Amino acid sequence: MATIKSLDPRVARAELPTEPTEVVLNPEEQWETYEVFHQKKSGARHIHQGTVHAPSSELAYTFAKEQYGRRDQTYSIWVVKTSQVFTVENDNSLYKTVPEKQYRNAGFYKVRDKIEKFKRQMNEH
Amino acid sequence: MYGGGFIPDDIDKKVPVDQEDPVRLEEFQARIDAGEKIEPHDWMPHEYRRQLIRLIEQHAHSEIIGALPEGTWITRAPGFRRKLSLLAKVQDEVGHAQLLYNAAETLGKPREAMINDLLSGKSKYSNVFNYPAKTWADTAVIAWLIDAAAIVNQTTNAKGSYGPYCRALDRICQEESFHLFYGYESVVTLATGTEQQRAMVQEALTRWWKPIMHFHGPPDTSSVHGNQLERWKVKMASNDAMRQTFLNMYVPKIWELGLTVPDPDLKKNEETGQWEFGDPDWDEFWEVIKGNGPCNHERLQVRRKAEEDGRWVREALMARSGKQVLPLS
Amino acid sequence: MNTSALENYILKTADDLLVLGHRHSEWTAFGPVIEEDIAFCSMAQDKVGQAQALYNVLHTTFGYDHPDTLAFLREEGKYTCAQLVELPNGGYDTSLMRHFLFDHAERVRLASLVSCPFEPLANLAKKFKGEVEYHVLHANTWIDQLGNGTEVSKARMQTALDELAPYALGLFEAIEGEQELVEQGVVVSEQDLQAQWQAAIDPILEKAGLAAPDWSSITPVVGGRKGYHSEYLAPLVKEMSEVLVIDTEVEW
Repeated sequence: MATIKSLDPRVARAELPTEPTEVVLNPEEQWETYEVFHQKKSGARHIHQGTVHAPSSELAYTFAKEQYGRRDQTYSIWVVKTSQVFTVENDNSLYKTVPEKQYRNAGFYKVRDKIEKFKRQMNEH
Repeated sequence: MYGGGFIPDDIDKKVPVDQEDPVRLEEFQARIDAGEKIEPHDWMPHEYRRQLIRLIEQHAHSEIIGALPEGTWITRAPGFRRKLSLLAKVQDEVGHAQLLYNAAETLGKPREAMINDLLSGKSKYSNVFNYPAKTWADTAVIAWLIDAAAIVNQTTNAKGSYGPYCRALDRICQEESFHLFYGYESVVTLATGTEQQRAMVQEALTRWWKPIMHFHGPPDTSSVHGNQLERWKVKMASNDAMRQTFLNMYVPKIWELGLTVPDPDLKKNEETGQWEFGDPDWDEFWEVIKGNGPCNHERLQVRRKAEEDGRWVREALMARSGKQVLPLS
Repeated sequence: MNTSALENYILKTADDLLVLGHRHSEWTAFGPVIEEDIAFCSMAQDKVGQAQALYNVLHTTFGYDHPDTLAFLREEGKYTCAQLVELPNGGYDTSLMRHFLFDHAERVRLASLVSCPFEPLANLAKKFKGEVEYHVLHANTWIDQLGNGTEVSKARMQTALDELAPYALGLFEAIEGEQELVEQGVVVSEQDLQAQWQAAIDPILEKAGLAAPDWSSITPVVGGRKGYHSEYLAPLVKEMSEVLVIDTEVEW
């Protein structure tokens, strides 16, 4: 069988056939995905970073540690099955609430005018 | 309802833009014009989805295949410093493929399907990785100049409209800056070293110049197709513009080292501010795309072998894995 | 303190790490799944980096050559690694099993060195702890999952274990002068380390559904600590130094 003469000694040793090989992955062969949350240091929040493909939580964690923690400072990592994350389809439309809800914000509550008026009244008396 | 998202029946099917709901199409365009990012669960035209999958998938393939030319020297890197750096660099390329496949998966194409399209030759990847790394100096030139060219491309695309792709690119660009400095230092070490080392790096640069000039793609021809992708912020800059940016930044650095590129016509036109260069042999470019480059066949055979050898590992754990759903973002 | 024995102890530890790290690195971009490729390459880097630090102790404290010279430009017969680490990677089964057997040994060795009176070595043992904890976690997870995977994966892991067991015992081949170092409280004896190692791995193998070998009935593959190696080390060293030997006097 003719083999590929590669400059890469690893490939040369593998003695790959020059004839193209047919390789087809089966559905689900790359397993399911897990969502990865990364905490930079103690006191910080866990922040979503991305996903890993893994067959189990244990391997997902083992993979996530290197894919998302090998460079950045890391204190802790969580992994969660993607399929376990609940959301509502097109949920952004739920958040387009009417804008007249300033009563939920601190800026809605103004006291200075009342105090100034009160002080003026006190001074007049 | 969970974050499984929308999976189109046939991603490869072409749905012309004029068959889309005009109201939604207009809203979609308005969001992009306003600088908003599109997220996986948002409505999007079929053609936007199809083109993005194609783009991101090819980018992912380029990273995984891109690990191979430099990988040629992974067992022979000279000394601890280079051995560790090269390992970390090739590891990053594999890591980038992981991030990019993930971004493409959010659009509805499973990773298995993408890998299959790579292995069968249906899906393309960057031509540049179909050239051989003949000496150690080739790895230095690749790490410096191919990564530099890639950064120009990636920082531009990171301003595009699709959220998951932008996020992947932001992370990738951070890591690429290490590659660039590592590559530059490697080239400078050789170029300022012995006669023999200088000769090695000059020969490598000469070998790689043509593929480098091809990197950003053939000269642009204005087409309806191109305009549509630009309006959707899928394509962020013309091939020529990115090539000019690259030449502007790196040709002076190459010349500073007393190295030459094999193009006597390369010069900056001070009036137009544009770099002018000789024909970098676009015929060869198209030949390599067709699969006739020096290493196309080897690269794919290596990937097929890796997938085949790893199959028993993946199959052994399939029963443990739950059913796939689309990644969240 | 018997310094020459201590030097040899550091050298063999470094040689093991360098050669295994190199073997691990050969998987880069060829792994069974992308995520695992990244993890395995990290461990390769950790091992090579640990070796470098140990060679550096020999260089700065005992006047040995620069780590690059020491690591890459020695004759094959001057390496004192165990033969376990020289063997070609083979399939992922062999690579994972070797990694499992080796990393548990490294873990007990490092734990024993934390209190070593030779401070540079104690400091490195503390410094490497986190990395080796991850390597052991990675190994245990895979051994458990593939052992408990399919009939195919279980059989492959068992075969790998049976083939590698005699080589793994070679990790505990004593070096000359060990007795003296043990008596002086510098290191823990290889015999003790082996006992700790067996106690650590046997339950994990059992939980993975794999049959732990009857260690006492196995003849260890030894010789590595005295410079006798398998046929695989010489080509590995030659390959590792291919660029460096073009010119050994310059920076690359």
